[in-house]
Amino acid sequence: MEEEILYNQSFQIRGRDFVNGGSVSVQIKRILKELGVKPEVVYKVSICCYEAEMNVIMYADLGTLDFTITFDDVIITLEDEGPGIENIELAMQEGYSTATPEIREMGFGAGLGLPNILKNSDDFKINSEVSKGTKLFFKIHLN
Amino acid sequence: MQLKEIINILSCNSKTSETLLDKDINYVYAADMMSDVLKSCKIGSLLITGLVNQQVLQVSEIMDLQGIIFVSGKEPGAEMIEEADCKNIPLLTTDKHMFEVCGILYSNGMRGKEIQQKEENGGRDTLQSVIPDKR
Ligand SMILES: Nc1ncnc2c1ncn2[C@@H]1O[C@H](COP(=O)(O)OP(=O)(O)O)[C@@H](O)[C@H]1O
Ligand SMILES: [Mg+2]
Repeated sequence: MEEEILYNQSFQIRGRDFVNGGSVSVQIKRILKELGVKPEVVYKVSICCYEAEMNVIMYADLGTLDFTITFDDVIITLEDEGPGIENIELAMQEGYSTATPEIREMGFGAGLGLPNILKNSDDFKINSEVSKGTKLFFKIHLN
Repeated sequence: MQLKEIINILSCNSKTSETLLDKDINYVYAADMMSDVLKSCKIGSLLITGLVNQQVLQVSEIMDLQGIIFVSGKEPGAEMIEEADCKNIPLLTTDKHMFEVCGILYSNGMRGKEIQQKEENGGRDTLQSVIPDKR
């Protein structure tokens, strides 16, 4: 049975748009806070969203983040058009990063983004096709 | 420790509204990498960093940081100061470098979450989480 959707919103994320980097995650955080979701869940979701959003900005061309709340979970899917990830196992390792020196100067490229998402979520899936793009799915229980 | 006391001992300049300075700081975290902040910084900490850009503010909003100290004489721009004022995040600057700032605050009793939690836990290690159990 399909879970009932209580809230749904989609956001566009443009690659290399560092100026607005993080603004989608901050919006999602505000929405969750306004809906009275408990702080622990708000932090987990916004940390995961931020890491995922910045990855699109740093590495991909265009992404669509879909944000859904059901009775039990916050569910995020983020599909991007971009170079994709050749070796997902490697990308999931703490410390692995292909960030350029310019990106590192901006405070990114610690290689902790995907591991942070995995750690803070209750369900996590990543699929990627080289030269096409990457699809990220994660879920965080409300209770 | 009161934020105003921290400003005093580090001889910081406050870039944002003075009205934001009336608060108590319980935890401090220092990093230049945003993922480190998202991974290991306790919610509601004071951040010490050498990174001055928009991203620090976004991360601060996500982690509900109580303020930011920019080290080594680095100065935030007018736009950043304006945004921080809107977000009620005090921005402080100091000529002191990262090592000195951390050392001075530590020797004045400030702690990061790990040591503080370990002390609260009677010296035992705890499983770390960025999520606060009490705020
Ligand atoms: N959306 C994406 N598109 C293409 N490559 C990505 C994407 N997300 C992550 N990657 C790749 O996976 C690596 C690890 O990502 P992450 O764990 O977030 O660390 P970091 O962003 O600090 O490099 C990145 O350096 C990059 O090579
Ligand atoms: Mg990343």
